[in-house]
Amino acid sequence: MRPENYEAQSQPPSYDYELNIGPNHPGIEGNYAFKLRLNGDRVIAGRADAGYLHRGFEKLMEGRLWIQNLAITPRICVPDPVPMEVSYCLAVEDLCGLEVPERAQWLRVMQLELSRIAAHFFIFGGHAATTGMYTPMFWGIADRDLILDLFEEMTGGRVYHIYNIPGGVRRDLPDGFGERVTHTLNYLESRLPDYDNLLFTNQVFVHRARGCGPISQQQALEWGVTGPNLRATGLKFDVRRDDPYLVYDQLEFEIPTEDPGDAWARALVRRRELKESIRIIRQVVARLPTLAGPIRCPIPNPLAWNVPAGSTYTRVESSKGELAWYVVSDGGERPYRTHVRGPSQMHAVQVLEQLAIGCRIEDVAQIMFSLDACPPEVDR
Amino acid sequence: MTNELTTWLDTLLAELDAISVRRTSRRRLRVEVASDALPALLELLRGRASFVHLSAISCVDWIDAGQFELVYHCWSYEIQSLVSVHTRIPREPGVYISVYDIYTPAAFFERDIHEMFGVWFEGSPDLSRFILTEWDGPPPMRKDFDSEAWVNQHFGWQDYHPDWLKNLEARGGGIAVPPDEQRFSRRTVDET
Repeated sequence: MRPENYEAQSQPPSYDYELNIGPNHPGIEGNYAFKLRLNGDRVIAGRADAGYLHRGFEKLMEGRLWIQNLAITPRICVPDPVPMEVSYCLAVEDLCGLEVPERAQWLRVMQLELSRIAAHFFIFGGHAATTGMYTPMFWGIADRDLILDLFEEMTGGRVYHIYNIPGGVRRDLPDGFGERVTHTLNYLESRLPDYDNLLFTNQVFVHRARGCGPISQQQALEWGVTGPNLRATGLKFDVRRDDPYLVYDQLEFEIPTEDPGDAWARALVRRRELKESIRIIRQVVARLPTLAGPIRCPIPNPLAWNVPAGSTYTRVESSKGELAWYVVSDGGERPYRTHVRGPSQMHAVQVLEQLAIGCRIEDVAQIMFSLDACPPEVDR
Repeated sequence: MTNELTTWLDTLLAELDAISVRRTSRRRLRVEVASDALPALLELLRGRASFVHLSAISCVDWIDAGQFELVYHCWSYEIQSLVSVHTRIPREPGVYISVYDIYTPAAFFERDIHEMFGVWFEGSPDLSRFILTEWDGPPPMRKDFDSEAWVNQHFGWQDYHPDWLKNLEARGGGIAVPPDEQRFSRRTVDET
């Protein structure tokens, strides 16, 4: 239309309407619905709707042997499954009073940190895709795949490893695995400047992510936010350092923090954490050859294993935040009760509902991905 | 500093009545308290002892004792210690007080426990269905809920016996599962 022919028309007044995002959409790593109430393109209110991935794991685990439950635990969180199995094993070991051999503890740390790197690459890609940039998404998935190759060699499984058992790990590293890990880490580290150029200093991303879904430190503490989302508000808290498990107290690593608390800060914290995880794995690779010895301690016949009565609460730091198991045994061969506290149970429900208020519709998916919400953890 | 605070906390808790405190490890404290004193204790932990982070609320169904056990896991960023506060409420009618006004994250956990165990939390902001949206049965995490019987009553069984398997069996192959090794017993709710 030529400008002289243009006549401004009175627009119909913005109206309230409802929009269902999900259960399938790019803003989250699984099936999860978010029901929005909008005025024009502003969100007035949002309501999380879970349950599409409910598999009743806690109930299932009450009916299975302690050792059989190992096959269930990693499936609770698909992108970052390792902390689930490690924390469940820590709980059983705590109940039985088992001493895990040192070599097994270092192997677990290696597996945990590799999983953290894989999860963070996944999130870089996902977060970039919600701002319309698809190249980092393909890069992220491709680089994550290199870690999955390492997992396949180390554990036999790519996504679900079931590598840990109460008392240690299933098998030792194959020959020459340390060099291959170092090689992959060197490659991934050399890729980080590319990610910086393409994503983290890209003005499209910076402008979209800055100021998007901000959380203040006080709000984060109020809402029970943990993990990178909490560190993005400036609080230096990490379960690995403040409530140490395995051999994390013998490792050197920084806990990156940022102050703004918005999507941009959350992305940066993950980017810097990735570098720290690489540093941790290098220490593990250097240390492992000096640690001879068994990789698991003797356990009773796992098919007739009565775990002593008691209860325990074990916490680990997953890539999304504080992950905890409350496990109760009545002295039987099956758990009496298991309760998993996934970090997303906080930031994917209440926090998301709060942050969505007042933002624009195109930022909703970005907020969801920048919080690193994991629906399988919420549904269990 | 941390040690001083820890000692101070131990002394504080030891002075309270009707409460049993046991230190299970350096960073774990197990507290058992009567159900009517629990909100006051949480108020104290949060307001006076820096336990600002409610990590989780767990519910355990002790069906033989006729009780629900509620466990509140609180973490202090300053003392770096986790207190698990255990309390028990009668299984019937299964009503308790919400601690939402003390800890905001309690809303999620109370909603979850209400859905899975049927415990009603007085004063909780939202106890509507969340995960089991279309569920109309009894609360499934209770110990007296038998999933297998429920499935048998509400879903039909279908024998999977396609033609290719019949052909295979005619030639002496296939997998035969003897009745006593079949996993599902096909009993229904009424029979139990």
